[in-house]
Amino acid sequence: MSDHDDLKRALGLAATGDRAMPAAGEDLARAREALRARTRRRYRTGLGGLVLAAAVGFGTVGVLADRPDTSDRVQLVAERFVAAPYTFDLTPKGWSVQAQNPYAVTIVPDDGSISTHPDDFVGKLVITFDENPLSGHSVEHDGRRIWISTSDDYTSMATRTRTGEPSGIVRIQYPQDTHWNEAAMLDFLASVHVGPAARHGHG
Amino acid sequence: MAFVSTRRQDLVRTAVLLCAGDEATAEDLVQTTLTRLYLSWARVRRADSPIAYARASLTNAFVDEMRRAHRRRESTLADPTVLLVREEGARAPDPDLQRLVLAALAELGPRQRAVVVLRHWHDLDTAETARILGCSVGTVKSQNARALARLRQVLGTVQQDLLVGLG
Repeated sequence: MSDHDDLKRALGLAATGDRAMPAAGEDLARAREALRARTRRRYRTGLGGLVLAAAVGFGTVGVLADRPDTSDRVQLVAERFVAAPYTFDLTPKGWSVQAQNPYAVTIVPDDGSISTHPDDFVGKLVITFDENPLSGHSVEHDGRRIWISTSDDYTSMATRTRTGEPSGIVRIQYPQDTHWNEAAMLDFLASVHVGPAARHGHG
Repeated sequence: MAFVSTRRQDLVRTAVLLCAGDEATAEDLVQTTLTRLYLSWARVRRADSPIAYARASLTNAFVDEMRRAHRRRESTLADPTVLLVREEGARAPDPDLQRLVLAALAELGPRQRAVVVLRHWHDLDTAETARILGCSVGTVKSQNARALARLRQVLGTVQQDLLVGLG
C-alpha cells in the first residue's frame, strides 16, 4: 500500500460526512439573483457611459453602451482606456483591468469567475513588456510583425514596440477558453501603447 | 440543475478538505462557486470536464477567501496528538480519525492544503495542479513535499492499522 493510497483513503474519510443537501433550487435561485444583479450593474454602467459620452460630445454612444453579452465571442469596442503606463485603443466588452504596474497589466472577465489575486494568472489576459526572444510563427498585421505561439492553455502574441515608445517586446497571453478569436487577439495587441514609465519584466 | 444535483456533494467534500473541516466556510465556498459557474456556464459547458472546471473554480474561490480574510482556521483540537493519547491502545472510531485528519490538514497553509487535495484526493498531476493554482510546477512540488512532511509529522504516530483498517 503506497503513501499516496493511504493519504487518499485518509482524505476520503475526512471528506465524508452526514450533511444535509440543500435543494438544488436554492443554489439556482442564488445564481439567478447574481445574474440579475450583474445585469443591473452592467446596465447602470452602460447608462453612465452614455451620459458621460453625451457630456463630452462623443458620437459613438451606441458602441460604448455596455449590455449583457449574448454571444460567446469577445467583442472589441473602439474605446480607449488607460492602465498606466499602458494605453489601449480597444476595449474588450465584458472585461476589466484587474491589476497594473510598470511591468504588466492583467485584464479579467467581469463575471467574477477568475481569481482576484494579482499573482494568479489563470484565466486572465496578461500584458507584459520585456526583452525576451520572439518565438513562434509570425504574421503581418497593420504593418507590424506579430509572433504567435500556442500551448494547451494559452495563446501568446508578441510584437516590438512602436518607434518612439520604450524599446522592447509587448506581449499578451490569452487564455484558450475565453473565446478570443485570432483576429481579435491581433487587433487588441496592436492597440497597445507602451508609455515611458513602462519597465521590462524578467522571466 | 442536473449538474448541481449530481456534483454538489463532490464539491462539498472537496471544500471540506480545503477548509480543513470548517463546514460553514466550505458551504459558503460551494455556494460562491456554483454561482460563478452559473454566471459563466457557457464556458463551463465547453470545458473538457465540467467537474474539473468546477473544482478549479472552487479551489480559486478558496485561495481567494483565505487570502482575503487572512483566515486561519482554529482547529477543533488544540493539539491533534492529544486524541492519539486518549485513544492509545484502542482502535479509534472513525469520527475521531476523521477529526485527526482534518486537524492535520488545518496545520497546513491554505496553498499547501490545496496542493494536497488536488494531488492526492483528486489525483491531478503536478502540471494540472500548477495550472489551477496559477503557480509553477516547481512550486507545486515543493509545497507538496513540505505538506507531506508536515502531515507525516502530525499523523506519523497514528497506528498504521488505523489507516489500513479503513480500506
